[in-house]
Amino acid sequence: MATSLQVALLCVAGALLGIAGNRFTPHPAPLGAGVVASAEQPGAVCEDPRASIARISVEEAKPLCIACTATFIDARSAQEYAAGHVTGALHLAPGETVEPLLPTLRSAAMVIVYDRDRECSAANQVAAQIQAQGMRDVRVLTGAWPEWLARGGPGESGACGSCTAGTR
Amino acid sequence: MHGGDAMSRLVLVGLRVGLGVIFLWATVTKVPDMAAFAQDVANYRILSPVLVPYAAAAVVGIEIVTGIALVTGVVARPAALLAAALLVAFTGFVAQALLRGIDLRCGCFGGDERASWWTIGRDLLMLAAAIAVATAGERHPRRNPPLAV
Repeated sequence: MATSLQVALLCVAGALLGIAGNRFTPHPAPLGAGVVASAEQPGAVCEDPRASIARISVEEAKPLCIACTATFIDARSAQEYAAGHVTGALHLAPGETVEPLLPTLRSAAMVIVYDRDRECSAANQVAAQIQAQGMRDVRVLTGAWPEWLARGGPGESGACGSCTAGTR
Repeated sequence: MHGGDAMSRLVLVGLRVGLGVIFLWATVTKVPDMAAFAQDVANYRILSPVLVPYAAAAVVGIEIVTGIALVTGVVARPAALLAAALLVAFTGFVAQALLRGIDLRCGCFGGDERASWWTIGRDLLMLAAAIAVATAGERHPRRNPPLAV
């Protein structure tokens, strides 16, 4: 039998086995129902129940910003930060060094990281960088910058404090 | 048989069985929670949501069949080619997610392992093993046809 035919038969047999056997597994994949990406589920921007970094909602984070009891980190680009950011937020993009911000971060009870997109991938990376420095309470803001704006969270614009002066 | 031939044959058998065991282990970690694996597949944002659960179930089935074929040595060469095709697809999926800045679990062996360039490196190593097993039968068609143990 030609090898290509054997490959095709193996592939089809395996696919049929997997689809037929799915129902006998403890938690089967929902055949017949669509499965969308976690970040595209309604009301689930940046929400991921299995994420390694804890989440915090805009509603929970707003009072902490107003009371200055949390330090906010903006993980977007420097240009986006300059155009507008959470009031008092510091700028730290993925891959940039955390050291200049450490004195401020170490004095904060909580660090809240945000970016702009539904996956919060930049915020996740920056939050992991900060956690690696020994910070215990580091959260990623669900809803990201768009929801912060939409819900009237305090914001300001200006140059990147972390780039110009090290800390705000 | 020359000593060198015996050694290379032994290495190829080791690669084949090792690759098969890895494929079977991957299914063992996925089968307890197929719904979670389907979610991992969806997070790559490549397939239509309707196709995602079917693709997830099919991938696990293909991994089982491929793993068994590689471990037993029955239709080993087609299984190695299928494994190589799967690994090329997996590598492409992970690479596009990383290049698009999507932070996600790779879904490779269950659990919370995040997709990274290390994941791609590991897939490429396995791809090299699969290609070695698949091409071995062609280099030694008479002496080493099915690479059976």
